Amino acid sequence: MPPRPKKYICPFARSGITYIDYKDPKLLSQYITYYRSIQSRFHTGVSLKMQKQLASAIKKARIMGLLPTVRYDKPDKA
Amino acid sequence: MSEQTTKYEIMAIIDNSLDEKAAEKQAQDSLVKRIKALKGEVTFEDFWGARGFAYIIKKQTWGYYVVLQFTLSPAALQELKKELNIDKHIVRFLVTKVDKKAPVPRKYADVKKEWEALEKERKIAEIDQKPKRKISTASKPSVEKNDEEVKSSEKKSTKKVATPKKDDLDKKLDKILEDSSIDL
Repeated sequence: MPPRPKKYICPFARSGITYIDYKDPKLLSQYITYYRSIQSRFHTGVSLKMQKQLASAIKKARIMGLLPTVRYDKPDKA
Repeated sequence: MSEQTTKYEIMAIIDNSLDEKAAEKQAQDSLVKRIKALKGEVTFEDFWGARGFAYIIKKQTWGYYVVLQFTLSPAALQELKKELNIDKHIVRFLVTKVDKKAPVPRKYADVKKEWEALEKERKIAEIDQKPKRKISTASKPSVEKNDEEVKSSEKKSTKKVATPKKDDLDKKLDKILEDSSIDL
């Protein structure tokens, strides 16, 4: 018998999080990419249920200026 | 009361032209008093203080954040939104319904303290891990020497006289041995 593929567990289920708050930019910033777009479920292993919550939380945080919408390189100060 | 009320949460940004104390007063004037005037109840208040934006909003780079939880009727909420849109001192606001799953709200200052404590622990853990490996090889044998071990090390030191590098080691060993003999 070949070994079974590894079973993926949602990182939120592992740490016991059931509700994602938009006021927590530190947690949300772990799930955005280098260009500040929402990281896909494929890469993070988040369950579909939590990904929906996560996406709405990130969008709310963006509206209030807690998270960036795009990557912005600061110009060099002379 | 025939009107149904629902629980809402509002996060608002206050203009950075004010002082911190003045901004806190402004939050009371423009948010808390208005909610009370519309027969709502404020259940939770939290003034975050100054905070930088992730991007420029209305030509400003930072502002004062306020979070409130309150109960209001849906019709009254519409009036509140209209008034807030006209308010000069409010840069932006976001009204959300409080989720049933949401935990009891906590003050931002307390949450921030916890983050800082966690980061400190992490940093200490990182620092501890690195030198431990070096110390474990170097310092442990010198500290945990009994009388029998000292004798064995003396024999070894007599054998290792051939190379100059080992001479230095022997001198160090001798010093340690002398100290340990005094202690014992």
